[in-house]
Amino acid sequence: MSGVLLGAQPGATAGDWLALLKPRVMTLVVFTGAIGLVIAPHRLNPVLALTAILCIAVASGAAGAINMWYDRDIDAVMKRTVNRPIPAGRISPAGALGYGIVLACAAVVVMAMATNLIAAAVLALSIGFYVFIYTMWLKRSTPQNIVIGGAAGAFPPVIGWAAATGSIGVLPLLLFAIVFFWTPPHFWSLSLYASGDYARAGVPMLPVVKGARHTRVCIMVYSLVLLPISLIPYILGLMGPIYGVTALATGLLFAFYCWRVLYDRQDARGNSLTRNAPARAAFKYSILYLFILFGACAADRLL
Amino acid sequence: MKGMPRTELAQSDWTPEARAEFLRRRRGRNFLLLAALGGFCLVIYAIALVKLHQYGTMW
Repeated sequence: MSGVLLGAQPGATAGDWLALLKPRVMTLVVFTGAIGLVIAPHRLNPVLALTAILCIAVASGAAGAINMWYDRDIDAVMKRTVNRPIPAGRISPAGALGYGIVLACAAVVVMAMATNLIAAAVLALSIGFYVFIYTMWLKRSTPQNIVIGGAAGAFPPVIGWAAATGSIGVLPLLLFAIVFFWTPPHFWSLSLYASGDYARAGVPMLPVVKGARHTRVCIMVYSLVLLPISLIPYILGLMGPIYGVTALATGLLFAFYCWRVLYDRQDARGNSLTRNAPARAAFKYSILYLFILFGACAADRLL
Repeated sequence: MKGMPRTELAQSDWTPEARAEFLRRRRGRNFLLLAALGGFCLVIYAIALVKLHQYGTMW
């Protein structure tokens, strides 16, 4: 097609513009944000609640679009991202940046209109954190990028709660902590089998800088820290037995998956001899873990 | 505009297939924009209805 079109391109598809919003990331963000709304003590009008969830989704997508604009140079050298709309030349960088900024502003303004200023402020903070702190600063400068940057993905339950109540309580802050401590083992599992890509792009992910063996230990440590933190809502009486049992069972299973990553068959430098099968399994399970844990929050509150 | 792909206008040297592909993609983008703008209007309208009905004020 490119030969036929010479210098011109047929342009982006509607799907390319949607892909800029990182819809897979958005799924998890929307889910955790919706849980924040559901477990809040006040009931929001369904129309306003749906609008709040829509705003969280759009804000997440907007931050993703700005991230793709900023990271277009490293996306172009990573196999996993080379076909994204900007490095593939289907959408111009300026177009993507404008798209992200317009959507981010719209999401914050509509959130303020539909719910309250606190929810809108936290939403704006989460976008700013992801774009300025994670994307522009941490991602390219420290192997701890995921640890601190993980806060950006932990905001949605707080936003959901704030949308319903107009305040920020202990429970949403605990959910924030759960997502915060869940993020490192989740991303490091992925980076263990995508470290070649990150090294080529010069992104200082933990396996690139400290090696695979160190990363495996960190994954295990974070999964062990996550387990007691996930139990705090039950211990404090903020959640019931459905949540408590689910958190214990899924947390132990997560630790087991991470233990398998730690003791994967490996060479002297910690590189896997099994094509990182345990890391791939741990990455997949980590997503399921968060869905089940937050689903248990909702079940506990609604049943 | 140097180095930017030209996506707004069909090129005169395109083959019929390339032109058809360009028009198909442009139609898709236009429908997406229509849906987004229509959805945005509906959301604002719904928020206004609910807030005015429940609280008697928008803010």
